[in-house]
Amino acid sequence: MEVQGGAPAAQPRKFSLPVDSEHKSTKFNIFSVAAPHMRTFHLSWISFCACFVSSFAAAPLLPVIRDNLNLTDTDIGNAGIASVSGAVFARIMMGSACDLVGPRLASASLILITSPAVYLTSIASSPASFFLVRFFTGFSLATFVSTQFWMSSMFSSTVVGTANGVAGGWGNLGGGATQLIMPYVFAIIEQIGATKFTAWRIAFFIPAIFQTLSAFAVLMLGEDTPDGNFGELQKTGEKAKDKFSTVVYNGAKNYRGWILALTYGYCFGVELTIDNIIANYFYDRFNLNLHTAGIIAASFGLANLFSRPYGGILSDVVAKRYGMRGRLWALWLVQTLGGVFCVILGLVQSLSVSIAIMIIFSLFVQAACGLTFGVVPFISRRSLGVISGMTGAGGNVGSVLTQLIFFRGSRYSKEKGISLMGVMIIGCTLPILLIYFPQWGGMLTGPASSKIASEEEYYLSEWTPEERVKGYHLAALKFAQNSRTERGKSLSKGTADAASAAAASPHV
Amino acid sequence: MEGSINMSANGFLLAALFLFCFLGFSHGHIHFSSLPRSLEVTASPKPGQVLKAGVDKISVTWVLNGTVKSGSDSSYKTVEAKLCYAPVSQVDRAWRKTEDDLSKDKTCQFLIVGKPYNPANKTVQKFEWTVARDIPTGTFFVRAYAFNSAGEEVGYGQTSDNKKGTNLFQIKAITGRHISLDIASVCFSAFSVLSLSGFFLAGKRKTKKAEAPGQ
Repeated sequence: MEVQGGAPAAQPRKFSLPVDSEHKSTKFNIFSVAAPHMRTFHLSWISFCACFVSSFAAAPLLPVIRDNLNLTDTDIGNAGIASVSGAVFARIMMGSACDLVGPRLASASLILITSPAVYLTSIASSPASFFLVRFFTGFSLATFVSTQFWMSSMFSSTVVGTANGVAGGWGNLGGGATQLIMPYVFAIIEQIGATKFTAWRIAFFIPAIFQTLSAFAVLMLGEDTPDGNFGELQKTGEKAKDKFSTVVYNGAKNYRGWILALTYGYCFGVELTIDNIIANYFYDRFNLNLHTAGIIAASFGLANLFSRPYGGILSDVVAKRYGMRGRLWALWLVQTLGGVFCVILGLVQSLSVSIAIMIIFSLFVQAACGLTFGVVPFISRRSLGVISGMTGAGGNVGSVLTQLIFFRGSRYSKEKGISLMGVMIIGCTLPILLIYFPQWGGMLTGPASSKIASEEEYYLSEWTPEERVKGYHLAALKFAQNSRTERGKSLSKGTADAASAAAASPHV
Repeated sequence: MEGSINMSANGFLLAALFLFCFLGFSHGHIHFSSLPRSLEVTASPKPGQVLKAGVDKISVTWVLNGTVKSGSDSSYKTVEAKLCYAPVSQVDRAWRKTEDDLSKDKTCQFLIVGKPYNPANKTVQKFEWTVARDIPTGTFFVRAYAFNSAGEEVGYGQTSDNKKGTNLFQIKAITGRHISLDIASVCFSAFSVLSLSGFFLAGKRKTKKAEAPGQ
């Protein structure tokens, strides 16, 4: 099933992009589809986008579905929360699956297993069945984790923020694109002659087939790493098969993963919540019709085309000069400003100012998502998947929480809920101040002396001495050396010589 | 799209009426509470009867109410009979909410029939309508609005009482499902899952083949 790149070290592989010692690309060339780096980029963002299209396909068709299935506002709200809560658990599992079997198998399996939920949406006939199909379809949003893991495996530290940001952003925009696609598909099917209550059912086959085909493409054309797939690498011994419990424990005991899980809930989580409530907000507050309100809702999601990638690019640009400290400062600043604009959005009275503030708010909140995943690849090497999964899951938890606290029932008017959510964003972003890497520093303090803290020590500490004897840590050693760029320009020059001297010491 | 869902049948008429409302007078906001109950409206479904969408028919009649002052219907130009939600079908459904301001009111979303009105003709007007296939399941009554030449509501009548509690009937919507759709859904779903196991088996066979010569 997979021929390229699986050949053993007999012939060194030629890459069309410049690569580092781990064969990760150091350049990000969007217009290329060359294997393995750029091809996997396109495969992963397209398949992730398909999952977003499916998960939010019901939203623009609700006016028809709610009459066909006799739904109440409570049923609709519950189904909306269900559509994002399934992925909480699934993202954590996906993280571990990526660490163990690789992102290609993990993501394609999930996409194929959840596509029946999308097909079966066509035969839903009650509020309960509608709830269930939205719940299970939402599991597919866990492909976010495999996308980020995959980009972190294919792209070097200088461009990993950009790669993660573009892949995540272009996938996310499926949530906005679906608000435009589904109504058009529905209208075309109705024109052909189906009645409303049948047309929406047929329409759901489009996202479902898109999902199935993208999974096939991933299986047939994708590669886990620049050196080949996990299965082959594990057979030839180049990659050691890791233990599930160790990987999970190693990830869970790293406090930085938990902090980012919390803060991601207040950029990505907020984005999901807004996806669910913003059309209704404009419809109710400014008396727009649902068609116009839907276009505004779509534009929020479509801003992901450039705002999330911009966050990733900003992370990499800032890291060139200021290293990891720059990445953390940029993340905290951008996400806090997102919170400020959220507060303002709930306070403005006029329609045109509201739309303008919403667009600015979307730019900051989505860029914060991109900036978060500029930091995630450096938290752990061994448990990259688990950390990505935790952070991703935290995003969905944030969405469930904000919808439950601010947008359920009639305790707060929608505008008050939006402003209060903005205050919560500002508060829950403060923990970023607590993130500290001994070798690079944190927001408020510089790195510890390079004599007692180094990239090698940080990453090798994830392996026990017995495992190091067996050589399991060698891949991590390469990553540690490549991550020295996170020291920033002014610092890395001075320590570069000392660092290369240390690196020259023989491997075990 | 949303406009076409609710107003496909009477889209042009309602759009024209709306335009009249905006262009004709500076205040287009008619309030339901200001309208006289000047029409006597009946509908064929008996109280509690369940009608099937797309199959059963409703006969609607209207005539000027005998107790109303004669000549008060001189401004009536058209009459529209509409299918309206009973309160029980509006619970927890904000998109069907009743508002006194008729431009915001969402009680009566489906047009049964619209006909011109001739004040000189004092006979009962009767029309038959097959329940459309996009009517949702719910409890309904029938209300008729009388419009003047400017397209504003100037009178109404309904089959139910003022509290909308009596003489209600039910409609059962079509499911929208078809056997062919059901079969297609299940087949595509099974195909997706089976193809995954197919990929796994193919992969295992390939690695076995690759291993065998080496050993």
